[in-house]
Amino acid sequence: MADSADSSVQPARRPRVHALVEWLRWLVLAAAVVMLVVFLVAQGQRADVRYGQSPATGTIAEGSAGELTGETLPSVQQLTAMLAANRVVRLPGSVAQWDTDQVARAIGGADVRILVTPPGLSEQQREEVDSVDNATVRVIGTEVSGDIYQVAPGNLADWRDTLGRADVTSALVLLINKVAHGSTVTHAGSGTGGGWRDPTAAELTTVAADLRSTGIHASNGATLSAAPTKATTQAFGAGGALYVALPTAPLDAPAPDYGPALGRLFPDTPIVVMYGDWIEYQGPHAADFAELAAASFYARFGDRLSAYAYSQDQVLGAYLTTVSGIRYAGLFDRPLPYRPADPLRIALPALPWLFAACVLAFLALSVRSLRRPAAASRSLSRRGGGDDARLAGLTALAVEVSGLTGAHTDPALARAIIQLRAAREALDEGLPRRRVRDLLDGADRELDVVGRRIEFRGYRPAEYLRGRLA
Amino acid sequence: MSSSWLVWLIGCVVLLVAGLATALVPRRRAREQTLEGAWLAAHAAIDSATVSRDAATTRSVDAEQLLARAEAISSGRGGRAAAREAAALARRADHLWQAADGG
Repeated sequence: MADSADSSVQPARRPRVHALVEWLRWLVLAAAVVMLVVFLVAQGQRADVRYGQSPATGTIAEGSAGELTGETLPSVQQLTAMLAANRVVRLPGSVAQWDTDQVARAIGGADVRILVTPPGLSEQQREEVDSVDNATVRVIGTEVSGDIYQVAPGNLADWRDTLGRADVTSALVLLINKVAHGSTVTHAGSGTGGGWRDPTAAELTTVAADLRSTGIHASNGATLSAAPTKATTQAFGAGGALYVALPTAPLDAPAPDYGPALGRLFPDTPIVVMYGDWIEYQGPHAADFAELAAASFYARFGDRLSAYAYSQDQVLGAYLTTVSGIRYAGLFDRPLPYRPADPLRIALPALPWLFAACVLAFLALSVRSLRRPAAASRSLSRRGGGDDARLAGLTALAVEVSGLTGAHTDPALARAIIQLRAAREALDEGLPRRRVRDLLDGADRELDVVGRRIEFRGYRPAEYLRGRLA
Repeated sequence: MSSSWLVWLIGCVVLLVAGLATALVPRRRAREQTLEGAWLAAHAAIDSATVSRDAATTRSVDAEQLLARAEAISSGRGGRAAAREAAALARRADHLWQAADGG
């Protein structure tokens, strides 16, 4: 009885712990499998050799940026007739300018006819311009071509003249020499254009006042509407930048060069000055990347900028994209903005050991669950049925009736005790409950025989057990 | 990576072995327990039959033969079928003695 009461305390706790361990075991196994899958998937990843992943996304699609001006051109016949009548034909909207003296010197006595059109012609219009046969030199926007040649600026000074001043003098001279005189020179000297001067105090004050109040100055004729905040942050960091947008400067007088003057007024501040499509950077790290950015930007987009009419908004956006690209390429030492680390890359080296830990945990829990099943199943069998109580009751009955038996009941009692002993053993060994019950049933039958044969009432197992329980 | 491959490989093998062991060992143990239970019942039946024999006033050759066969089978310690047969034989012998003794 004491044994029965003692062991009935444990089953309440044991199965719960056992179930918890079982859960933990499956959990650890699932974690190990997930890690294995992650590891296998990660094996397929390619190495990315870039220093940082540039967030800049700048693409320029044909026509979608409003770079076509939509000017209507005279027909090819009309253009041919106009060129036959005049040496130089400037269509309305043309922007190209040149030093007439230099060009006239280059032409000399040759018959050179120049057709100048506005920028931003459609594909079909360009073909029409190309098919004007008596045009020696064609200037579309500031793109100069003739015969089978097309002139492209060769250095940043050329780009500055071409895009900042719409000055095509050197290109014209080079091409005319080539086409009309068969010159073998393939590189033009830098244009002597209108030249540059320091801005006057009044000019500088106006611009500086705008920059101080809004951070952007767009003078009359400039097409910059607003500073691109997101692109600015990407390109120059959270500190922002100052923007000055000016239209293409006329050639007849030196143009104010705001960059250095503003640099003195706003030290340590990124300043971007636009003259037409030409962009200059002034400020921190200028020596490191300004030339590089300008060279890569104009080498890539110069052709389109000279032949099409992009707004300064779009040009600036593309330029800032280039600057961001350079910055994230790690070509010069500037702090990168915070980028969240890739958890997979960090976790990968630790993954095998985490996996090993999970495997060991699974192993330990498996061994534990293998070593415990006897106790567990016994406790389960005890919890479920009243076999224990029944065994105790029948044993007590056997003890009580043992004093009342005679010769004709002794064998039955002995058989009952044998069955009871077997049942006790089966219970202790944790054998299947069905077996225990069979043995108890056998003992029950034998004791019933005994109970019926002795002269006292109340010793048949059914009655006795009911009395015990009540 | 080469060193960690070994970890993955060994880990997988250990997982498999542990999983198989936890699946198979309890099953085998349960089978053993059933067998043990069957023999326990068989021995209990034989012992009961022995008690009946000792208590019996009349001899029963049939019953003695049955019990002898049951004891022979149980001394061989066979499988579940053997245990069941021994139990059945012993029970029949028990019934015979009890019947002969007058129930």
